Amino acid sequence: MAEWIEPLIKIALVVGASQAAVAYLVLVERKAAAYLQDRFGPNRVGPWGLLQPLADGLKFILKEEIIPDGADRILFLVAPLSILASATFVFATIPFGYVVPWPGSEPIALTIAPNIDIGVLFVFAVGSLGVYGVILGGWASNNKYSLLGGLRSSAQLVSYEIPLGLSVIGVLLFSGSLKMETIMTAQAASGWWWVAIQPLGFVVFMVSGCAEAARLPFDLPECEQELVGGYHTEYTGMKFGMFAFAEYLHMITVAFLAVILFFGGWHFWGLAPYTEANEVGFIGAVVRVVVLNVKVLLMIFFFMWIRWSWPRFRYDQLMDLAWKTMIPLGLVNLVICAFCQEFLAQDDYVTRAVLGWLAVAGCFAWAAASVSSKPVRTVAVRPS
Amino acid sequence: MPGLPILLFAAVAFVVALSILVIAQVVGPKRRTEVKMMPYESGMDPVHSARQRFNISFYLLAIEFLVFDVELLFLYPWAVAAHDRGAFGPDHAVFYAVCGFLSILVLGFVYTWRKGVFKWT
Repeated sequence: MAEWIEPLIKIALVVGASQAAVAYLVLVERKAAAYLQDRFGPNRVGPWGLLQPLADGLKFILKEEIIPDGADRILFLVAPLSILASATFVFATIPFGYVVPWPGSEPIALTIAPNIDIGVLFVFAVGSLGVYGVILGGWASNNKYSLLGGLRSSAQLVSYEIPLGLSVIGVLLFSGSLKMETIMTAQAASGWWWVAIQPLGFVVFMVSGCAEAARLPFDLPECEQELVGGYHTEYTGMKFGMFAFAEYLHMITVAFLAVILFFGGWHFWGLAPYTEANEVGFIGAVVRVVVLNVKVLLMIFFFMWIRWSWPRFRYDQLMDLAWKTMIPLGLVNLVICAFCQEFLAQDDYVTRAVLGWLAVAGCFAWAAASVSSKPVRTVAVRPS
Repeated sequence: MPGLPILLFAAVAFVVALSILVIAQVVGPKRRTEVKMMPYESGMDPVHSARQRFNISFYLLAIEFLVFDVELLFLYPWAVAAHDRGAFGPDHAVFYAVCGFLSILVLGFVYTWRKGVFKWT
């Protein structure tokens, strides 16, 4: 019996928390956007607009659900279902903290499935199921905008999956496990966050993570000015809400991954340090949960910041960035990490960091050289 | 049973998504009109079905993705195992083998690049 109850409680917590988090992060994003653009943002529904998410949700539910006449009815409904279910399912192996000791029973791992050793691989596998929802939705709508949007975004998601996977291999080499708890402990034990050692890998991860979540500089799937709404042009009410919801969940997932893989997870010097036996008592465990989640919130704010500061790419630029820049950079990072792991001492993190930052400097030099060797475009000025 | 939480969570995620879909279908109003049921194409009446042939580039890209994804699947177990230095013995044979594997892959990558698979004009 007990082996059913514990995961069920965790699942209820994760599902509830993720729904509330998405609802309120939308409000936070709108407030942040307003702040960046010198506006007020939502402030009519409740104090400081705090009831806005509730109003939005009600409106989603009360709107008419339209299935266009030419659409494939079943696939049209399967698309939002699969995209939302897979976006939620990803959280099965993501830890929200470290092990919490509990009086009178076994310590509780803050992961839904703590015994699964393939954490990172599982997240990538399930997260990329979202592509099916996108292409199904685009095809089933029987709308040219939808089809174009679906094709574009499936090509984008598929392309950025490769640099995403490549950038993670460096982390795996240094941590020696796919399990996220072990990856966090490895960083805490070494006292180095992997972002300081593999800056190149982090940049590749961040750019492709942003593209996987279809956040603004990469929101080609739904660029309003070109494709009306992309693959969800024909979706109304809650079905559209499910797409938007899943997209937000993807962003939260990428933020969690970035913090866990590159920013040390629960580790923070002085506040939540590494101890040899890794037993920190109840208070220490709570501090670790807080540290991890504050880092994740900061990462999410960083995503919002990018979104409201950057113009959108053109489609060919987007594909060039994936195949001609990010994949070569990911390969360079992989080779450097493999070299370090093979030929340097296990605890020689300084040399690894030096090599990692030298690689970044080399990339900058290469970029500068390739830009300056291109002919300068001149714009003819019409005489006035 | 270590897989139980995963199975439970898969079921819950599916049921939650399904119930959201069903509730919205039941609660919302249903007033069909002919124009409302038409695909929205910026106010023009749609011409032909939308399911037509599309650019071959997408297909080539999908194949290229397949190659790289399988390659990543080979590299993951190696990366986890290579963390432990003693796993493959003192001579760096496996390291050089992986280098060879990567260089074959890069060769193919350069070939497709020169062939213009990644061109979007």
